[in-house]
Amino acid sequence: MAAKILTEKGISCLMLNAGPIAEVHKDTDVRQAYTLPYRGFKQPGRLPHVFQSNEFNANTWVDEKEVPYTYRPGDPYNWVRVRLFGGRSLFWSRQSFRLSDYEFKAKSRDGFGEDWPLSLADLAPYYSRVEAIFRVTGHMDGLAQYPDGNFIPDDSPWCGCMQRFRTAGAQRGIAVCKPRAALGVDGLASSINLLLPDALATGKLQAIPNVVVRELRADRKTGLVSEAYFVDRLTRREMSVKARVVVLAAGTLESTRLLLNSKLANSSGVMGHYLIDQVYGAGLVCSVPEARDGKTSRELMEGSALIPRFRNINTKAKNFIRGYALNCYSGTHAMDPRNFKAYGRELKEKLDSYSGSGFSVGIMGEVLAHYEHHVSIDKTTVDAWNIPVLHVDTRYTDNEFNMARDAVDTASELAEAAGFEILAKNYDPNPPGYSIHELGTCRMGNDAKSSVLNPWCQSHDIRNLFVVDGASFVSCGWQNPTMTILALAMRASEHLAEEMRMGNV
Amino acid sequence: MRRRDFVKALVATTVSARAMVGQTAATQVAPSAPPPTPPGAAPAPAPGPVPWMRGLMEVKPLRMTPLLPDAVAETTTYFFNDRQMATLRQLCEILLPPMGDYPGALDAGAPEFLDFLISVSPPDRQRMYESGLDWLDAEARSKFGMAFDAANAAQADALIRPWLRTWMPDHPPTEAHADFINVAHSDIRTATINSEEWSRAEVRAGEEPPGRGLYWYPVDPDINRRFLPRR
Repeated sequence: MAAKILTEKGISCLMLNAGPIAEVHKDTDVRQAYTLPYRGFKQPGRLPHVFQSNEFNANTWVDEKEVPYTYRPGDPYNWVRVRLFGGRSLFWSRQSFRLSDYEFKAKSRDGFGEDWPLSLADLAPYYSRVEAIFRVTGHMDGLAQYPDGNFIPDDSPWCGCMQRFRTAGAQRGIAVCKPRAALGVDGLASSINLLLPDALATGKLQAIPNVVVRELRADRKTGLVSEAYFVDRLTRREMSVKARVVVLAAGTLESTRLLLNSKLANSSGVMGHYLIDQVYGAGLVCSVPEARDGKTSRELMEGSALIPRFRNINTKAKNFIRGYALNCYSGTHAMDPRNFKAYGRELKEKLDSYSGSGFSVGIMGEVLAHYEHHVSIDKTTVDAWNIPVLHVDTRYTDNEFNMARDAVDTASELAEAAGFEILAKNYDPNPPGYSIHELGTCRMGNDAKSSVLNPWCQSHDIRNLFVVDGASFVSCGWQNPTMTILALAMRASEHLAEEMRMGNV
Repeated sequence: MRRRDFVKALVATTVSARAMVGQTAATQVAPSAPPPTPPGAAPAPAPGPVPWMRGLMEVKPLRMTPLLPDAVAETTTYFFNDRQMATLRQLCEILLPPMGDYPGALDAGAPEFLDFLISVSPPDRQRMYESGLDWLDAEARSKFGMAFDAANAAQADALIRPWLRTWMPDHPPTEAHADFINVAHSDIRTATINSEEWSRAEVRAGEEPPGRGLYWYPVDPDINRRFLPRR
């Protein structure tokens, strides 16, 4: 987004990308699992922290041996990374939400953490433009905690089972809404097809693939960041390039790692701290009895829904603050055999009978920003290019565990009220990081003593340094952060362009 | 070599090279310009060796589907001992027998594949399988006075059913015995349903073969992985 905005403003940009350009027609093939070395199983020992990986997509994730990270024994962290042009925008669920003032001004409501130095009103114009670019579809629900946007209208009818779930929710004051998602163009909603082509069309963008930035250096006289040192990923050739401005968008923790390794922009001492993400993994699987034994239909079963945050809005939850959303899916597909205590012929009969009756619910919950949850440089370990790696020190607290338990119990209550049979439940969150929504560690704020960036994603310490990925987040909410990252990046880039025009940067 | 001697040697080398070039020019065999070709005649073949990559750009891919070794070869098992392997085979037959036109786990080579898969798995997964198979066999001997692979269906059911659990992805049961039974069940099913035998059965039944997906080759792989630090 920064490359698009800056080049469209006439500013020449050089993009340093740690990975190659993926060409799907050359780099992929449709294969049968039995033709692969591990018969579709994940290669044992490879990518142990990337639960999303499998034998088909293993080569798209960053190899943990090539770019390792460390964590405290017993507190694993799932750092899921992609080093390709387009990064993780190549592979994402496309859920597209705005943060609300329940997130931007959360401290004002419950006293925990910090408010953002901006509000929804500040960001709304940028959200609208981002939603237009990514072609976000959704339904206007008029809920303050689920802000409406610039949507391609979704007026599709509810399927039968989801309508029953909605009714059960309404009886309990819980709104079951349509999900919101980026349609993209030609099936893809990525920076490589929605943002970078515009930047390249200006003739102002140059890009280098396969270079890993190891350090930024500041000019001793001016204090401004002036040079990026990088290493060629393939040849190990060491090089550097000078720039008037540096904009980091390496993906939250890689941006923070680079700044920590560079020993820059941390007069506040909070860089690396307040690492947050979102609780995933807790949920349940049900069966809709009326859809069993061959009676399933699209009208009854094909649908999805989103229950936006409803806790701590008008009432107060007993053992956690903030809140969570629930993703709800139903479909006419076969069911997972793990939902049945059966095997052999009995299991086959169950699978045949229950096929097309599945209904599942999963949590997306806010993780609180604690100073203690942080990343730092592990000087004992380096990556394949001798760059010191990150040590991640974080864990979920009672607030997250209580939230997950409430989510499963609430979803169970709604499912039973809707007449569904609950087959499997899980109360345990996946490890921190699993959501691939790592955020914070260079949080923004008005006070340079307690934040790394100002409200324009600009370093308090170094005025020609900007960080426009998820590192600037103060709190995370339950929402997929992509739209917010893009809106913040658009806003910051336009501010930067104006500052450059005025000669302030 | 002292510096003066080095300079002398360098000069001598240079002179020799010049002399060699002069000799080559006098007895040239590979002219830079080809001799004139009469109208209508085929051009004379270029002198010298054939470039190594000649013709590869024009060749068409071989019209063949490579054979998978599983189709014709036996897997040499080596990780599980004979008793564990016998227990695993029986577990495979109990949990996923042949049904209708579909192969069972034994037909799909699931036990042999799992011997390979577990042999390259992390130690905790290896321990769970080994101790799980040993436990199952010991339970059969304790309760029925026979090895697990000799147990009938009812006896095997009495050993397995108490440990069956429902569970969601990434959250397998963690209690002893239930972890092994449920994870092994899932692995046996995956190894079977992702086999070529099962895929053929699906095609015969007119169904879409399972396990088809978009496979990503390494994208511009790092050729210097040998430099990776040891961990």
